[in-house]
Amino acid sequence: MKNIKVLDGNHAAAIGAILSKPDVVAAYPITPQTPLVQHFSQYVADGVMNSTIVEPESEHSAMSVLTGASLAGARTFTATSSQGLALMYEPYFRASTMRLPIVMNIVNREMISPQSVWGGPQDSLTVRDAGWIQIYVEDNQEILDMTIQAFKIAENKDVLLPINICYDGFYLSHMTEGVEVPLQEEVNGFLPPYKPTHVKLDPETPMAVDPLTPGNYLQYYRELHMQAMDNAKKIIKEVNDEFAEKFGRDYFGLVEPYRMEDAEYVLVTLGSLTGAARIAVDMAREKGIKCGLIKIRSLRPFPKDEVRELLKKAKAIGVIDRNVSFGWHTGIIYQEIKSAISNLDAVPTVPFIGGLGGEDLTTDLMVEALDCVIKAGENKQIDNEAHWLINRKGR
Amino acid sequence: MSIAEKIASYEDMVGPGITACLGCNVELSMRTALQVLGHNTIVAIPPGCMGGVQSVGWADKTGMKIPVFFPLLDNTASMLTGIKKYYERIGRDVNAVAFAGDGATLDAGFQALSGAAERGDNIIYICYDNEGYMNTGFQRSSSTSLGSWTSTTPVGEKSKGKSSHKKDMPLIMAAHGIPYMATASPAYMPDLIKKLEKAKNVKNGLAYIHIYNSCSTGWGYDSEKSIEIVRKGVQSRFMPIYEFENGKYKLNIDVKNPIPLKDYLSSMKKYKHVSEEQIAELQEFINEKWDNLKKLCAE
Repeated sequence: MKNIKVLDGNHAAAIGAILSKPDVVAAYPITPQTPLVQHFSQYVADGVMNSTIVEPESEHSAMSVLTGASLAGARTFTATSSQGLALMYEPYFRASTMRLPIVMNIVNREMISPQSVWGGPQDSLTVRDAGWIQIYVEDNQEILDMTIQAFKIAENKDVLLPINICYDGFYLSHMTEGVEVPLQEEVNGFLPPYKPTHVKLDPETPMAVDPLTPGNYLQYYRELHMQAMDNAKKIIKEVNDEFAEKFGRDYFGLVEPYRMEDAEYVLVTLGSLTGAARIAVDMAREKGIKCGLIKIRSLRPFPKDEVRELLKKAKAIGVIDRNVSFGWHTGIIYQEIKSAISNLDAVPTVPFIGGLGGEDLTTDLMVEALDCVIKAGENKQIDNEAHWLINRKGR
Repeated sequence: MSIAEKIASYEDMVGPGITACLGCNVELSMRTALQVLGHNTIVAIPPGCMGGVQSVGWADKTGMKIPVFFPLLDNTASMLTGIKKYYERIGRDVNAVAFAGDGATLDAGFQALSGAAERGDNIIYICYDNEGYMNTGFQRSSSTSLGSWTSTTPVGEKSKGKSSHKKDMPLIMAAHGIPYMATASPAYMPDLIKKLEKAKNVKNGLAYIHIYNSCSTGWGYDSEKSIEIVRKGVQSRFMPIYEFENGKYKLNIDVKNPIPLKDYLSSMKKYKHVSEEQIAELQEFINEKWDNLKKLCAE
């Protein structure tokens, strides 16, 4: 019998982490991540789980405690949002360059100013080049499942990189859905223990970690890090497939195509807004318009080959960004997509920006976006200004 | 066994040929500390003089016989907490040790250290206090004393060195209620060694040792005077040697007849410009601290 519970995103993440049995957890509370930490602490207090919990005095220390614990050989987990991520940027970058497979969920929240606590992946997208694997998910089931998969991906000997599972604040963190919870024995069978040797601080095997390092060595380390990212593409898919076989849920690895078989007009999405975009695609399909959608799951490593293959027959593309890239007047994902398809023939590609600061990206707005993409395709309009998706009722 | 014989009997954990300045009493303090703490130790050396002299290592070569790493300037205590927590979890008693300068301790790393002290994390934190960022050419830190020249508190027509007093880090650490806090000086080795041994035996929280060091290059004195200078610091009551153990303060070196502060200040270039007013202000600060310490120790 299936074990289905009604869980919000934070609770689903906490259960995913609990099932993965981290040795050390250190997290500093921040809206909208706070309930995740509370759930985790309660499970430990109740004896359901015996992770060592450290309550640090800041996010900077949360990441630093985990960096130390991981260097000692621990499996580690934490979570944060927005300003917390910004504060931990220093040890965040370093966790990846020390090749420590820390798992950190990012409950996406806008960066201030103005003051805001609501959703938007501006926080994690801004640090996409800090060397972490970043996977963006759509619903609470995917949060739980990917939190478990995250450890297996990160700790793979060909990867050994830290990983973020990113999900939208409030839209997922505080909304409840039915979530199937795997059994502990099933997860034990899926996720082997972590036994590091590549970098370890142990008096029995003395090692200097990060001596002063000249450029030729540093360059070599960066090259290895890049290779590990490339390896992660394969591992993310393998772990996805193994998970699908064992647990019956398939997320298609790096990128999820939706009704893409013969699609001419394509929306590209990230995160929870994908749901509304799927409905807009279904509505257009009912009218006989050949359209589809691709959901970017892995932002780092970026699935450029898969994206190029999926988009090679598109007549027009629209990229929905719940974030901005100042100075480009587009969102960040738009630039990623443009880079990936740069050696295809020029195709009309429209940058959409909307849903910032927790604004709703409604089905109406997705229909508006799709209409705009179709028009750009019909007019063969290669250059397209950013199209702001604005919920006019609320302004 | 004399203290000299005792030190000689301990193995040196630091590699030969590290590039500290001539007469550096920080290198001496670090070697001594790690001799006492021994093989079962993981040591964090944040950016600063001792990191700069390649005690962590160079390229693919290690600087130590024990596990050693560069934490960030501001997360030494937190990284050690993570290491220690995991070893506690797997039932291994390992010394998690910081050897950090005053910048990494009193300034950037202060929050992380305070957090670890408050949580009662079982780490040994040694601060080598040479009153500034010496490794990068002597910029001021919050441990720089009033009137001191530094490259960022220079002496000019409108400025006479640092305008505020040194932060009282030892007392701040004691106020956290940690099980063990001590100040020490490389001019008083038996006292320093005893304190390192005590810190090593603390198992119920954080142990903090504040070593009053100096810097011939930055402070401006001849390198052979490195011990003499810090002894004068103690003898003028500028560097009070005391400890805080299980809630009790104890003055370890009671300086009954202090040498004139001027004798200490005039033995180095960083104070050569100080005015009589600044000396009086420093003297008042030292007297107040000393009186307060005597009261704490009498309780």
